[in-house]
Amino acid sequence: MKRYLLKRLVVAIPSLIIASLIVFTLPRLLPGDAVQLMLEEKAYGKDVDDLRHKLGLDRPIYIQYFTWVGNVLTGNLGESLWTKRTVTEELGMRLPITMLLGGMAICFAIIIAIPIGILSAVRADTLRDYVARSAAIVGLSVPSFWIATLVIVLPAIWWGWTPHLGFTEFSKSPGAHVLQFILPAFILGIASAAGIMRLTRAMLLEVLRQDYVRTAWAKGLREGVVVMKHSLKNAVIPVVTILGIQLAQIFSGTVIIESIFQLPGMGRFLFDAILQRDYPVIQGINLLVVSIIVVMNLLVDLLYAVLDPRIRYS
Amino acid sequence: MSDSLSRRDLLKAGGVLAAAALGPVAGPRGAIAQTPKRGGTLSLRLWDPPHFDLHQTISYKTNVLHTFTHSRLLKYKAGPGVQPGSFVLEGDLAESWSQPNDTTYVFKLRKGVRWHAKPPVNGRELTADDVKYTFDRFVNEKGNAYRSMMAALDKVEVVDKYTVRMTLKEPYVWFLDMVANPMALAIIPKEAVEKFGDLKKWEAVIGTGPWMLDSYRPNVGVTFVRNPGYFLPGLPYIDRVEVTIDEDNASRMAAFIAGKYDLGWEASGTINRVDWVQLKDTLKQRRPKLQSLEFASNQMSHIYMRTDKPPFNDVRVRRAISLAFDRQGLLDAVAEGVGVMNPAVPAALKDWSLPVDQLGEGAQFYKFDPARARKLLAEAGHPNGFPATVSYATYGSTIQVDAVQLLLKYLKDIGIDAKPIQQEYGAYISTTFYGKYESMAFGPQTPFLDPDNYLFGPYMPGELKNQSHVNDPVLSDMLIRQRRTADVAKRREVLHEIQRHAARQQYYVYAPSGVYIGVWDAAVKNYVPNLGYDWGGRLLAAWLDR
Repeated sequence: MKRYLLKRLVVAIPSLIIASLIVFTLPRLLPGDAVQLMLEEKAYGKDVDDLRHKLGLDRPIYIQYFTWVGNVLTGNLGESLWTKRTVTEELGMRLPITMLLGGMAICFAIIIAIPIGILSAVRADTLRDYVARSAAIVGLSVPSFWIATLVIVLPAIWWGWTPHLGFTEFSKSPGAHVLQFILPAFILGIASAAGIMRLTRAMLLEVLRQDYVRTAWAKGLREGVVVMKHSLKNAVIPVVTILGIQLAQIFSGTVIIESIFQLPGMGRFLFDAILQRDYPVIQGINLLVVSIIVVMNLLVDLLYAVLDPRIRYS
Repeated sequence: MSDSLSRRDLLKAGGVLAAAALGPVAGPRGAIAQTPKRGGTLSLRLWDPPHFDLHQTISYKTNVLHTFTHSRLLKYKAGPGVQPGSFVLEGDLAESWSQPNDTTYVFKLRKGVRWHAKPPVNGRELTADDVKYTFDRFVNEKGNAYRSMMAALDKVEVVDKYTVRMTLKEPYVWFLDMVANPMALAIIPKEAVEKFGDLKKWEAVIGTGPWMLDSYRPNVGVTFVRNPGYFLPGLPYIDRVEVTIDEDNASRMAAFIAGKYDLGWEASGTINRVDWVQLKDTLKQRRPKLQSLEFASNQMSHIYMRTDKPPFNDVRVRRAISLAFDRQGLLDAVAEGVGVMNPAVPAALKDWSLPVDQLGEGAQFYKFDPARARKLLAEAGHPNGFPATVSYATYGSTIQVDAVQLLLKYLKDIGIDAKPIQQEYGAYISTTFYGKYESMAFGPQTPFLDPDNYLFGPYMPGELKNQSHVNDPVLSDMLIRQRRTADVAKRREVLHEIQRHAARQQYYVYAPSGVYIGVWDAAVKNYVPNLGYDWGGRLLAAWLDR
């Protein structure tokens, strides 16, 4: 296991190098840089050149890249071209919010999807199954920002009331701080829940048709034991794989949901940084996200061995 | 004031001022008669600033917040006596000012004005040195894109502790307007810059204004608290201003319906007309006493084109484009049919703008007449039209996208087969906005409060904002002349002549502007909206009755 882990970590290094090149280069390929956006149409004389020099954006791109990579290796993600605050400081404020939102969303997705998926598979082709499958299709088809908009606007129009909008600091009210995430996390988790539910159902149906399950039924075991003990563990491995992928999807969903619910997380920060061509911020966030996804996928792979004793890493 | 004004009435009146209310209108005048009350919290939706250094950004998001915390030498009058679109100068930090000659201005400062009681300034008295420091930093700071507003300034001298003399390189009659402009010259303390290196951090927001910045959280909000040492005794009345940063239209709309915001959530405390039409009935039920006032917007878009090369160097082609542009059709499609027609100076600046029907020969090109447009194109040697491109950015606005689509249709109708080139905002600003585009472009201008900024940049050869590449000696002469004409009536005549000339030449084809709907809670008394960023100025003498 240790050897496997080491091997995976070594393999992750080229992935991170390639990712660093991509996150560094792509934002610079967009027309217009931070200086042009700062000055907009009101640049005067040599303003554009002067400011570009002041911010170090006139240096050759490879020098900028190696300087950045060197700083990253020492834990310094640079500072925002706009606010002059360090990217690490900004991420420190925002990452916990996005992590909590994303974490709650994935929990909601699992809590909703797995039981419904099991029920749908066990009661396949019944009314309950049809309802669950239809709901899943709706969940997959309807974008989360649309649901969020309706959830906010309709109560306001009907009753002059809105769900909690804005942000409450943990230090001011821990309860309110956590509660404010429930609705956005639930909405964010809907699409993931739909996907997970459908996959759980399909996998479980496949397992339920296998010979060893028929044997279990023939032995006279109770339904709960057959499904939960003998079938679910084998059915859930592809679901775990999907969970790893869903994390990336949920993170991208936070960009809009954080805006709608006024949560000052990383999604909103990234969105603003892209609009402002704030290269250090874009690079820092993307590198962090890539690292998180690499680590999560590694954890998912390791989880296989826990779920299925037949899988061994050597 | 009446709530029964029709759209036709509004347009007939030039859209400059019309009033409407959802419920019985107490009206601004009624508000003055009551005795002001101290206290309360005002809730607003504003924007998240990129940072707080007002000399290193042109963002309105930063400028608006500084109107609560900072003072300027001069400001524009605000309050129920002021009609939106009108800008009358009055002293802010300057008790009085004089102009001994064409190029010299002397400002006498109020005595006893104190900075906010915050470190490192700790409430010391404001002096002429602070004014000099601010102007010097404004002019010399790299990255201050607004410093062209002070291009005429030669030097600032401290005469004594309370007197500042400013000398210009050449006469520039708009100088006092630039000094009063809430976009630019809020007076800042040297100590804050020295302590923080610049003014980007919120802790560096220290002014002499009516409120003090109490807290800021990015993407969440800003809190201002009353400055007990404000130099105008008794003001402001409102104790606390809670600003929510809400970048999502659906959520701010819902929050407004639910009564969370006291003023409209868009520019100048307004509500977008499309939203307003959708919400009006709901608001009648939920917030029946809401006050509203309509006034023309100074946000003006225009078609610009490469007049330095064929086919747009032919005035007949430019006139044809103007004739093909169904301005009322555009308003019907994107602004519920309500708006005002703009000459080169937007109609909203009513002291300087010339009504379209008074544009003389140029007025005819504001009519929608595709048949005549085709005829003009044929005369110019393009009987079958020609291919072209229209570069634009969406600005994140569906209205802008709709407008461009309509424009393409209007052009197509006279044979100009224009290919749309949609650019991301950053790309647009760095190329098209600076005049780097193929043949045509369409987009909004910065909403200034003075005519000079609408005219000098776009029409003067060599200026960055000369997007249509205009090089017209007659126009250039008038542009310089208006800058040197101190007599207001004579200056107005020059400005009118510029607008007539521009209408004849159609270097830019101006789109109509919408009519803003300023909205505020009935509890907010002694308040009237106006154009511009000066939220703090307009709320200075407002008070809350709840």
